[in-house]
Amino acid sequence: MKQVLEGSHAVSEAVRLARVSVVSAYPITPQTHIVEALSDYCSDGTMPARFLCVESEHSAMAAVIGAASCGVRAFTATSSQGLAYMHELLHWASGARLPIVMAVVNRALAPGWNIWADQTDSLSQRDTGWLQLYCEDGQEVHDTVLQAFRLAEGVNLPVMVILDAFFLSHTYEPVEVADQGAVDRFLPALVPRFKLDVNEPYALGQMASPAVYMEMRHSIQMGMARALTWFAQTEQDFSEIFQRTYGAIETVACEDADVVLIVSGTAASTCRLVVTELRARGERVGMLKIKMLRPFPTQAVRRALSGVAKVAVVDRNFSFGASGIFAQEVKAALYNMDRPPQVYSYIAGLGGRDITTVLLEQIWVATRETSAPSEESIWMELRTDLTAPPDDPAEEPK
Amino acid sequence: MDFHDLSIFMSRSNTSTAINKTGSWRFMRPAYREKTAPCSAACPTGADIAQIQMLAATGQLKDAGQRLLQENPFPAICGYVCFHPCQNDCLRANFDEAVAVSQIEKFLGRYLIETSGNPPCSSLSKVSPKVAIVGAGPAGLSAAFFLRSLGYGCEVFEAQNEPGGLLRWGIPAYRLPLDVLRSEVYRIEQMDVPIHCDRPVDATLRAKLSKRFDAVFVGCGHSRPIALPVQGAEAVLDGLAYLKQLRTKVNPRIQGRAAVIGGGNSAIDVARSLVRLGVETLVIYRRRQEDMPAFTAEISRALAEGVEIRELFTPLQIEPQPSGYNLTLQKMKVANHGGQGQRATVVADAGRTRNLHVDHVFTAIGAEADPHWQPPERAFPEALHLSHCTLTKSHPKPVVYGGDLTNPIRSVADAIASGKQAAMALDTYFTSGWHAVEPRLKACRVGRGSSLSMEIYKSGPRGARLDQLVAFEQINLDYFRPRGRSTVGLSSGETREPVFNNVEARREAGRCFNCGICNDCDNCRLFCPEVAVTKTKTGRRIDLDYCKGCGICVTECPRDAMVLTAETP
Repeated sequence: MKQVLEGSHAVSEAVRLARVSVVSAYPITPQTHIVEALSDYCSDGTMPARFLCVESEHSAMAAVIGAASCGVRAFTATSSQGLAYMHELLHWASGARLPIVMAVVNRALAPGWNIWADQTDSLSQRDTGWLQLYCEDGQEVHDTVLQAFRLAEGVNLPVMVILDAFFLSHTYEPVEVADQGAVDRFLPALVPRFKLDVNEPYALGQMASPAVYMEMRHSIQMGMARALTWFAQTEQDFSEIFQRTYGAIETVACEDADVVLIVSGTAASTCRLVVTELRARGERVGMLKIKMLRPFPTQAVRRALSGVAKVAVVDRNFSFGASGIFAQEVKAALYNMDRPPQVYSYIAGLGGRDITTVLLEQIWVATRETSAPSEESIWMELRTDLTAPPDDPAEEPK
Repeated sequence: MDFHDLSIFMSRSNTSTAINKTGSWRFMRPAYREKTAPCSAACPTGADIAQIQMLAATGQLKDAGQRLLQENPFPAICGYVCFHPCQNDCLRANFDEAVAVSQIEKFLGRYLIETSGNPPCSSLSKVSPKVAIVGAGPAGLSAAFFLRSLGYGCEVFEAQNEPGGLLRWGIPAYRLPLDVLRSEVYRIEQMDVPIHCDRPVDATLRAKLSKRFDAVFVGCGHSRPIALPVQGAEAVLDGLAYLKQLRTKVNPRIQGRAAVIGGGNSAIDVARSLVRLGVETLVIYRRRQEDMPAFTAEISRALAEGVEIRELFTPLQIEPQPSGYNLTLQKMKVANHGGQGQRATVVADAGRTRNLHVDHVFTAIGAEADPHWQPPERAFPEALHLSHCTLTKSHPKPVVYGGDLTNPIRSVADAIASGKQAAMALDTYFTSGWHAVEPRLKACRVGRGSSLSMEIYKSGPRGARLDQLVAFEQINLDYFRPRGRSTVGLSSGETREPVFNNVEARREAGRCFNCGICNDCDNCRLFCPEVAVTKTKTGRRIDLDYCKGCGICVTECPRDAMVLTAETP
């Protein structure tokens, strides 16, 4: 049934439909609406689940780790500092091979305090062994949460479903909310491969000596590698029931493109518009949306960009001392291929600043007209006179 | 998709963690060591108050009563009249309000009376040593009680026609019901202790007692009132004598206006008795009200009942009139406020006097011992001056002086403490000799003050407790919720003080922190992260193979019944 939903509630509805047994979370803007709705569902009986109130995100993750260890479906959500606070337990969740699903609303890290969209929070957790899926709109985030459980439970690794603060989390859009019967067909009840059981006691996660630790890490990587094919299978099964598919990456008009803009999250929607307009003017421009950052779909990216001369990666994040993080990933994926495209790195939209059609077109122009990329990322629309009023001030959300 | 080929290689163990002897990490060691509750150290009788509250709160009234009787033959009497220093030191007062220990004691005392719950008492043999006791007041009767429990034969000689001493003749009936007094005195008689009334001990009888008995306890109290050294004082009534009259007559008749001179408990007893008979009563005291030696609670009650206190006045002259008396009062002024807890020094405020007409004048400025019974001077060579009695080798049999003759505070609880100390001192002297007395008594102290425990003397389990007092900071308040005291109303003019019912008593006893003693709350076991605490038939055991010395058990003990000490390398 189609409903007008806030992005956050598109997540909540999917969690409800996934028949999650345990939710634990600690509030943080702009994530709070997700778990607020879930706490209502838990208290009014809509969801026969336990909502565990905790004193911090660290404890929230610990609680869902405990729940998942007991073999039930568990969910949490957080943002920014809350995610950073979970850090050590993120490693635990993946190391313990627990199929936890977490929604992460991308929000800038402090200081200075900023509650607006920025991807550096989730990208800082890139190496924790979690799958990462970046979503573009309300429908995608709804569908991706449902897929995430299937994905996680297949390879026994945790999944982050990631959405931009406010641009997605607080924006109302029409969303086709899945039918419970259909969801149940797509996502059957969890049959855990292991679980803590008082009747058959054992300990999990204890000492691992140098003789076995490396093999354990390798086992996680094998799960990650399998996740690429499993994601494709999951999407295929999903599309058979729901007739919707997204892909680990999505290409738009890349075939004959001279320049491909690489984007993620809500910037992809804006980029679609830019590509459509430029194509109408006869410009040979394409777009590559990266949805899955972990595991990184290297082969798919190479195939999509084979024969392309230049790519411009637009990063709403930054790795200090290096460059935009998606740009690093793309460079690493392309490096060993034959005649790889030149990779241009642009930084835009940090801390909730808008990534407009005008800005994306500027990036396209700059890429087309520069013969070789600079070593450093190019920071777009940096204000030179900070005493003057900004052109387009970020509005305080109510 | 099939995931059978996708191995999950992770740590998982079916063996127990018992292989990991975390005890090897330990450098601190917890132990169950009970400590002393401040209330029990403040109680002159050393009653095991924290334990008694624990038993009472769980409905084990019989056991609670028996524990009271281990240290005090008169729990009901004390429940009525004791000035309860225990409550002043109650740690719960720092949290919400002190536990109403005296009300619970009164309840348990009456429970013991109603259920005839007397302590077991072994029969005497012909060779049992015998002690003569002079005076059937609280000190003498307590001495008999404790000596008898230690296997001594006792006989009590009392000058009046009924036992009880000040309890019978000095404390008004509205404070201590006669049936309560008689029931508790009867407890002593039931222990095969004859009480010979109308038998004042003169020189002849005293000589006989020295021959017939192996020792004598002298607890004849302060029977001689101190006279007011002013002109006309011989015409007025002695307060103590009047209190005795009130306890003898059925319907005393008195009216008009009365002045009571003095500031001690007897003065307040006289004043409160007069108010009850409809007399307008004025207490005249030479120092300030806060300097009055009477117990504060008694003063407050007197004021609430309509007694007027005129502080800083002393009579200069008393003139009998055809009707009543004219008093000339000298106004006093404070010369020196004295330090904390000390009385002010006062001097006459020269030239300032006041005249007062009243219908009756009573004096209650103190009493002294009959010179015949004065205890030996401090310098007397063969005397042991203990906190609550004086033991002498003389006559040729040992004599112990006790009660008001020796006590620093003249209270019923101190009189009981005196009888107990005398019993312990005599027994130690007979069994282990003169020089053993002081160290033996010191080993029986409750806390580090002068209170003694008969249970410890008899090698009971209480002796295992540390004499260290529990401090408020050691109580883990996470385990307590503020809850006001159960109250029993005390309205003016009631002839009897009300008593808790069973529910109120248990509820109030449940407020006790049970400082320093284990009440089986089981926190130590539940919180132990190494599951190193196990329950045994007698209590709990710490498995030192696994105790890593984290101290969580000690921290989570709500009542400081554990200690954490450094391991010795």
